[in-house]
Amino acid sequence: METKKKQYAEVEGLFTWPADEPHLIGGLCKGCNTYFFPKFSIFHKPGCPQGPVEEVLLSRRGRLSSYTVQCFPVPPPFVSADPFVPFAIGLVALPEGIEVIGQLTGVSIEDVKTGTDVELVVEKLYGDKDGNEAMTWKFRPV
Amino acid sequence: MTEVAVIGVGFHPWGKFPDKTFVDLGVVAAMNALKDANMEWKDIPAAVASEYVWGGTDGFNAGPALAGHLGETGIPITNIFNMCASATSVVRSAYHVVASGERDICLAIGLDVSPKGFFGFMGTPNPKDTDYLRWRVIGATNPGYWAMECRKRMEKYGTNAHHLAMAKVACSKHGALNPNALFRKEYTEEEVLASPMVCDPLHLYEICATRDGAAAAILCRADKATKYNGKPIIIGGVGLGSSLYGDPTLRLGLLSAPAGDMAPLLSESHMSAQMAYELAGIGPEDIDFVEVPDNSSWHYLQYLETMGFCGPGEADRFLDEGQTLIGGKLPVCPSGGASSFGEALSAQGLLQICDIVEQLRGQAGPRQVQGAKVGMGQTYGQLGNSASIILKV
Repeated sequence: METKKKQYAEVEGLFTWPADEPHLIGGLCKGCNTYFFPKFSIFHKPGCPQGPVEEVLLSRRGRLSSYTVQCFPVPPPFVSADPFVPFAIGLVALPEGIEVIGQLTGVSIEDVKTGTDVELVVEKLYGDKDGNEAMTWKFRPV
Repeated sequence: MTEVAVIGVGFHPWGKFPDKTFVDLGVVAAMNALKDANMEWKDIPAAVASEYVWGGTDGFNAGPALAGHLGETGIPITNIFNMCASATSVVRSAYHVVASGERDICLAIGLDVSPKGFFGFMGTPNPKDTDYLRWRVIGATNPGYWAMECRKRMEKYGTNAHHLAMAKVACSKHGALNPNALFRKEYTEEEVLASPMVCDPLHLYEICATRDGAAAAILCRADKATKYNGKPIIIGGVGLGSSLYGDPTLRLGLLSAPAGDMAPLLSESHMSAQMAYELAGIGPEDIDFVEVPDNSSWHYLQYLETMGFCGPGEADRFLDEGQTLIGGKLPVCPSGGASSFGEALSAQGLLQICDIVEQLRGQAGPRQVQGAKVGMGQTYGQLGNSASIILKV
């Protein structure tokens, strides 16, 4: 009987996992009403008392505000697919008033278009040497 | 504050030097600057150096490491690291040493040698370091970030593939005339667009390479400068800037950015340029030529607007009209830019200054900007740092 592949978050604390409807985990400063992602990536408005900053789950849906297609293998510490396949990376505008970066999935690199509504998913980043899957957040057209 | 002049400049050629150390390059740059100023190292009463951060404890004390080779005089030496804005920041500190009256003369030096195998992330894997995360969990390279800003610009203003290619063409025309430049080929638009796509929409030739190099300048009180050099070049002002809240630029190494338009794009460069203008008592309209940090064709266009030379969205037309060529309204990167040299992170600002000084001395030969009286340079560092300098005769 085949052992089930394990799936684990490549980095803890950036998104909810495991989850049917994952969210990015961000921060919200109640002092200056600014959202941060990740929550420790802090940029306060001048005059803000620097908090309190609370952990928040960011909206799952947003709009693709820009993208690029990575056409060359990416060096370590990224684990590039072998053979390399160009992939898209996007910037997604969330209702919280910030834009977050993430790989795009579920769309061919020829068909990516800004303005598309996208939602957060958690998918395989790479397969590790034990055959398990390191997972990360990506955005997929709705 | 006392007026300060540049009385000597010198550099080690830009290139790849896997068998050389930062000291090897730095000593050559310092000696060339000293020669240009008709001085010896023992005449230098203070120095400021960029730190060398890619390996070796002595790199964090790069200035005294250089002094070990040049001669241990015991003078005050500051080491500074402001990412890719290091060299121009070094000049600001050297300027303060002289302008404050603490010393009559100060040497400023920037240096960089890529460590072996330098490609991407050079730090220690750390899940709290967004610069590590963007490599590890996304695969977002530097050109990838720039490409996403570039696409936004294309959709907002109509910048297209032609404009991106022409920025490279313009720089290459200048590099072709510069015997110091590494890349001397003059490119056509077709050749640039035929180069491999790296991060759509940026082609290979639209992204600057990285190289090694070191450059130095010797600063002196203006009222004592002619003792050393018959053509002292006056520092009009050196500005330094950090990011403004609400700047929508996705800063290299971060995973998010504010949406909207609350603050200018590349706000640190906007701030450093504004500060330099204020200190010099002039505006962008008074600048005769400018060296922008042309990491990519997007930067070339965007900096013209960020630094106040063109209104929002106007840089493309300005470029198309030929105004950024020598002979145009505002020659951009008459040295050829990072496009023609490659970028040596912590030294680039001083390479700019070497070329600006050559222009203002009237010694740029076929690249001479006619009647050049005021030149400007700017460098920009990862994660939010920029320095701008205005020099004049």
